[in-house]
Amino acid sequence: MALKKTDGSKLLMAVVCLVAVCSSVPISDLLDRASQGSDKLHALSTIISQDLNSHFPPIGQEIMPRPSMCHTSSLQTPSDKQQTLQVSESDLLSLARSLLQAWSDPLLVLSASANTLHHPDQTSISNQIQELQLHSKSLGDGLDILSGKMGPAAQTISLLPFSGGNDIGQDRISQLINFNFLLSCFRRDSHKIDSFLKVLRCRATKAQPQMC
Amino acid sequence: MMKSVMEVLLLLMLFFTAHAKEKSYSPPEKTTQTRCRSPEKETFTCWWEPGSDGGLPTTYALYYRKENSETVYECPDYHTAGENSCFFNKNDTSIWVNYNISVVATNALGRAFSDPVDIDVVYIVEPNPPEKLTVVVMEDKGWPFLLVSWEPPHKADTRSGWITLIYELRVRLEEEEDDWEMHHAGQQKMFNIFSLRSGGEYLVEVRCKPDHGFWSEWSSTSYVKVPDYFHREKSMWILVAVFSALIFLILTWLLHMNSHSLKHCILPPVPGPKIKGFDNKLLKNGNSDEIFSALVVPNFPPASASKYEEMLVEYLEVYVPEEPELMLEESKDLLDGCLKSENSRSDSDSGRGSCNSHTLLMDKCGETKEEERQTNRESSLMETQGWKEEAINHDTSGKVKTWPSVYSPLPQYGSNPLDKQSSLETAKQHSLSTSSFLIQPGTKDALGPSYTDFCLSNKENHLHPQTLAHRALQTRSDVNISNIGCKRSPATEYVEVQRVNKEDMVLLQPVVSRCGHIEGCPNLPKGEDYSKLKGVDCDNRLLLQREGTGEDVCPCVDQETNREGGNCYTSSTVSTTQKPTACMYTAMPLQEETALSLNGYVDTATMGNLPSC
Repeated sequence: MALKKTDGSKLLMAVVCLVAVCSSVPISDLLDRASQGSDKLHALSTIISQDLNSHFPPIGQEIMPRPSMCHTSSLQTPSDKQQTLQVSESDLLSLARSLLQAWSDPLLVLSASANTLHHPDQTSISNQIQELQLHSKSLGDGLDILSGKMGPAAQTISLLPFSGGNDIGQDRISQLINFNFLLSCFRRDSHKIDSFLKVLRCRATKAQPQMC
Repeated sequence: MMKSVMEVLLLLMLFFTAHAKEKSYSPPEKTTQTRCRSPEKETFTCWWEPGSDGGLPTTYALYYRKENSETVYECPDYHTAGENSCFFNKNDTSIWVNYNISVVATNALGRAFSDPVDIDVVYIVEPNPPEKLTVVVMEDKGWPFLLVSWEPPHKADTRSGWITLIYELRVRLEEEEDDWEMHHAGQQKMFNIFSLRSGGEYLVEVRCKPDHGFWSEWSSTSYVKVPDYFHREKSMWILVAVFSALIFLILTWLLHMNSHSLKHCILPPVPGPKIKGFDNKLLKNGNSDEIFSALVVPNFPPASASKYEEMLVEYLEVYVPEEPELMLEESKDLLDGCLKSENSRSDSDSGRGSCNSHTLLMDKCGETKEEERQTNRESSLMETQGWKEEAINHDTSGKVKTWPSVYSPLPQYGSNPLDKQSSLETAKQHSLSTSSFLIQPGTKDALGPSYTDFCLSNKENHLHPQTLAHRALQTRSDVNISNIGCKRSPATEYVEVQRVNKEDMVLLQPVVSRCGHIEGCPNLPKGEDYSKLKGVDCDNRLLLQREGTGEDVCPCVDQETNREGGNCYTSSTVSTTQKPTACMYTAMPLQEETALSLNGYVDTATMGNLPSC
C-alpha cells in the first residue's frame, strides 16, 4: 500500500512534470490535487490521534506539554478567518510549504518511536505513521511544483528546526506522552496546511464556484 | 463586586433560614458535560450541564484560558446561546488555539469547578443544516425523477473556501417510516433521485458536514408527490401475469393428460408374473390338467394345412412337363417371347407358394402335355399358357380370374403358328386389359405366391414378347411374398430359373425341396436356387436381380417385394450341362454349380417397376 502510494505519487509527479513541460496544467487543478492530498494527510493524523487516545493514561492529559511548545509555533500563522483571507496566495503557499517542510524530520522520529510504542494499537499506529510519511512527502513535492508557478514569494520557506532529537522519552509514560504531543502538533499543522490550500483552491477557481 | 455582595447576602440568608428551618444546604456540585460547538469556524458556543445546586441558588460562570497566556477570561455572553451556555463571538474566537475552559458553579455555600476542557475551534465545527431545500419532479421520457437542490447554511462561508462542506441527503416514502434511502452528494448542491414510485409521496432531507468536523442536523423536510405514470408498466405486468398463468394452466393440463405415462416413467410398475389364462385358484385346487389346459393355446400348432389353403387368395398352378429337354428343343425356335412356366413336381416347396391341388393340376397338365408332345415349340408354349389358365381356374380360393378369357381360344392347339400368334396377341391384349386386375388378388391376403417363370428372348417381335412377358409377369398373383408365412404345401411347385443361356433364354428348372425354411422363403435370394425377377425391359428381356457378376445379359430390376434386394445372377457364360437352348429347363437337382446364373425362381412381382414401353 505504501509502495503503491510512493509509486502513485511518483507517477503523479512525473505526469505533472510532463504536463507542465508540454502544456501547463491549470493551477486550479494542481491546487485541487494538493487540497485532496492535504485532506488525506489530516484525516490520517486524526485517526492516529484517536487511536492513541483510546488507550491513553488519564494522567497523560494532565501533564502533556502545551501545544505552544510545538516546534512550529514560532511560525506566525493567521489565527482567524479574517486574517487568513487577508494573506496573499503566495504567502499562504509559503506557509503551507514551511509547515510541511518542518515536519519531515519529526515524522521520522515519530515513525521510529512508533515501533517501540507501548500501546495496544501499536501496529496500526506504526503503519499509519508510515503512510503519513509518504503522503507528506508526496504533498511536499506537489507543493514544490505549485510554488514554481506562483511566484518567488511562494518559494520562500521558513525553517523551523526540530529540536526534539531522536529520543522521545525514557519510560513508557513519557514516551506515550511525547508521542501524543508530537502527533497533536502535527495534526494541527496539517489542518493549517489543509485550510490554506483550500482557500487557495477556492481563490484560483473563481470561474468554478462549485469547487469551493 | 456585585457578585460578592450577593454571595454574602445569600450566605446570611442561608444561615438564617437554616437556623429557622433547620434545612441542609450544601455547596453546588460541579457542572458536567461541557460541550462546545462552532457552526462556521468563526464563533463557537459552549454548553454545560449543571449539577445539583445544593438547595441554594447557584450561579455558573465559565472561565477560559488561551494556550499562550495565563490570563483567565470569563465568558463574554451567557445569553445568546440560551441557558447554561456561553457564546464566543468572532472577536473572542481564535482558531488553531487551544482553549482551556472550565465552568464554576457557585452558591452561597461554596463553589464547584468543573473539569477543564481543552478545545480547538477547528476541531469542533458542526455546521447548521443546509437551507432552502427544494425538490422538483422532472419528467424524463415518462419516467420522472426528483431534482433536489439546496444551499449551504448561510453562516458557513464556503465561497471563500474557509469551510468546505460535503452533503448528504435521504429520501423516503411517506408511508414507510424509518426506511430512508441515503445519497451522498459530495460537494455539489443538487442531486437527482430516480426510480420513483408512481403516485408516491416522498420526504427529502439533507445535511452537511465540514471536511474535518461533525455532521449537521437534518434539514427541514421537503415533501413532494410524484404524479402517476405507472400505467404502461402496470399493464405490461398484467399481461405478463396473464400469459404466465395461461402457460401454467396449459402445463398443468398437459401434465394431467400425461400423468399416467409420467407415472409409468417415474414409477414404473413392478411386473408381476402372470400367465394369461392361468388361474391361480385352479392351482390351489391342485388339478394340474385343468390348469395347464388353460395354458394350451387353442389352434396351436396348426391342425391342418387346409386353413392355409383357404388363406391363399390365388395361386398359379403350373405344370412341369416330364421331358424338359424336349420342350426346350421344341421351343428353340421361339420367335416371340417364350412364355413358360415351370412347375416342380416336388411337393415340398419353400412354403411360399400356394401349394394347392397339385395332383389335380398335374393331371390336367399331363393331359395337355401329351397332346402337345408332338407339336412344335409354339404349341408347347401354348400349352404352358393353357396350363396356366387351367391352373388359374383351379384356384380354389376362387379369387383369381387371371386370364380367363385369354386362353379360351388357346385350347385349340393347332400347329398353326398363325393361330399361335394370334393367340399370343390375344393373350397379350387380354393380359393388357387384365393386368391391373391380375395384381389385385394377390396383394392383400394371399399367402401363397405363385410364381411363373419366364424365359424371354429378345429376338423378333420384341414388343410382343415383352408385353406378353410383362403381362405374364403380372400373373403373379401374390405380391407380398414375404408377408406370408411360408407354409409347407406339397401342392405348390416352383420352378427356378437356372440360368440365362446365350439366346437370352431363361432356363428354368423345377425347384426341389424348398419348404425347408419356411420363414426363410422371402429370403430366398440368399440361397443359390432363386433369383428374383426384377422386371422386363424394353427388349422383352427378363430383368433379374444381379449378383454383380457377369454381363448384363438379363439386366435385373429389383422386384418390389424383394426386401433383401435378392441375389441376381446373370451370366451368359455359364457353363451348364444343359443344352443352350431357349427356354431350357431341367429337372436337375439343386446341386448345380454355383456359377450358374439365374438360380432359383424368378419372382415376377414387380409389376409396378416394369418399364413401360
